[in-house]
Amino acid sequence: MGTVVARLVRAEWTKLFTTRVWIGLLIGACVLSGAFAALFTAFAGNPDSGLPPLDSPAYGQLAFSLATNATVISVVLGIIGITQEYRHRTATPTFLATPQRGRVVIAKLLAYALVAIPYAVIVCAVTVAVVLVYGNARGGAPELSGNNLEVLAFAGLALVIYTVIGVGLGALLKNQVGAIVAALIYLFVVEPLLRSIPATSGAYKWLPGGALEAMTATFEGPDLLEQWQGALLLLGYGLAAALLGTLLAVRRDVA
Amino acid sequence: MNGLTKTFGKVRAVDDLSFTVEPGQVTGFLGPNGAGKTTTLRMALGLITPDTGTTTFNGVGYPGLPEPMRQVGAVLETAFHPARSGRDHLRVYCRATGLPVGRADEVLGLVGLGTAGRRRAGGYSLGMRQRLGLATALLGDPAVLVLDEPANGLDPEGIQWLRGFLRHLAHDQGRTVLVSSHLLSEVEQTADRVVIVGAGKLVRQGTLAELRSGSAGSVLVRSPQTTALADLLRADGTTVAPTDATSDGLTVTGLSTDEIGRRAFAGGIELHELRSRTSGLEEVYFRLTAGSEQYAAVPAEQGAV
Repeated sequence: MGTVVARLVRAEWTKLFTTRVWIGLLIGACVLSGAFAALFTAFAGNPDSGLPPLDSPAYGQLAFSLATNATVISVVLGIIGITQEYRHRTATPTFLATPQRGRVVIAKLLAYALVAIPYAVIVCAVTVAVVLVYGNARGGAPELSGNNLEVLAFAGLALVIYTVIGVGLGALLKNQVGAIVAALIYLFVVEPLLRSIPATSGAYKWLPGGALEAMTATFEGPDLLEQWQGALLLLGYGLAAALLGTLLAVRRDVA
Repeated sequence: MNGLTKTFGKVRAVDDLSFTVEPGQVTGFLGPNGAGKTTTLRMALGLITPDTGTTTFNGVGYPGLPEPMRQVGAVLETAFHPARSGRDHLRVYCRATGLPVGRADEVLGLVGLGTAGRRRAGGYSLGMRQRLGLATALLGDPAVLVLDEPANGLDPEGIQWLRGFLRHLAHDQGRTVLVSSHLLSEVEQTADRVVIVGAGKLVRQGTLAELRSGSAGSVLVRSPQTTALADLLRADGTTVAPTDATSDGLTVTGLSTDEIGRRAFAGGIELHELRSRTSGLEEVYFRLTAGSEQYAAVPAEQGAV
């Protein structure tokens, strides 16, 4: 089974790299995280913005955590990875080649988790480059060491886990546009609302967004888990989505 | 296939369907639109779970085949990512099946898509899409081919090519070929045997010759002694009707020309014409499937046995 899954992982990579989706999303992720890094650096220390000054430790951790703004692109990458099979009806030849559908989903999870690693490295590199270059130009960039490096590593890990969550979500919902819209609404409307309403803000720390924030943020946050707990919780969400998605993909008729 | 049944909502799409397809022959799987052909093929290939029944290839169910694409090739629909080239599409399935990626170029050549392989599949004509589907099915050099309406969208030249290609695969290479169609004329010149379904049920199966002969063709007889001849033939309950009001012809159903000639001779009746009017295969097909079109499918609770 190991060699079969390795074959399927390579097939998934062939699928991904023979259309232009991957490069579009990579550019999008770099622009998004780079733009946030530039914006925050520009207003660091500005009393109206409420951002800590450039030379403070708080700013360093905040600036490097901005790579997590690309998690939305990671989710979309994972969603497209599985829903394009249903959208373009290639699920039929894919499941004909591999009737053990669970293996297909496992291969997708592995293939996308592995692809997400260089993705995350590039996004983190762009974030660091913007923060360092722009920070130095403004007279004092944070150092890439200690707590700052830890935050960056957790941000990269979050980018990988969100890709896995995307694959699971795609397997659950099947519909590409529907899954992407649902993910965007959740990330940009539902979670921020739950976070800001006092009655629900206690539950927020148990949500993916809360876990993500626990992993990377040190800046005027609500009540959150420990960093490693957040990472485990987020990983749990990724695996749960993957498991549910696998079970459904195996049971559903492909018509 | 053995006792396949599938119900969608209240419609019994496939109802206790069983048949066998033999190697070295092209078998036509015929039925009107909505007769359950596609559902049957998808159940056979493990894409749809049947309510009851099983399908096996040389005794093994599709999901149990160790390397399914190397044993069974299927074209169910023209499915590919429009931004991916035909060649890359094939390479994906080479990788998934563990075939060398060079196999993609070989099958592109087989189906006559050699030069178009590097173009985006989204720009292909309908006929080229069908050829790409066929190329996908042929990747693993399978002994069994299952094709769902492969002639859809092909131009006359393409249909001619497909007929020759399928016959070659079955007769010269000994493969098992099952090809579905809603048009008899499409399989009439390709298939050795046909399996006809209507409303999810098996209507008839057999060779084309059996189907023609089993149609109880009618015979035209002309005689100056029409009344006497009609009485003679009706004696054993044979159906005899005047061909039309003015002529001296009779249409006889259910007797061979030999038998009518023998009886007329024995009865001393003069015949002026005795001619077989075998009804066309198309007529047979139409008659067999009449009333079983898509929206004539019975609700499950009435159709249940």
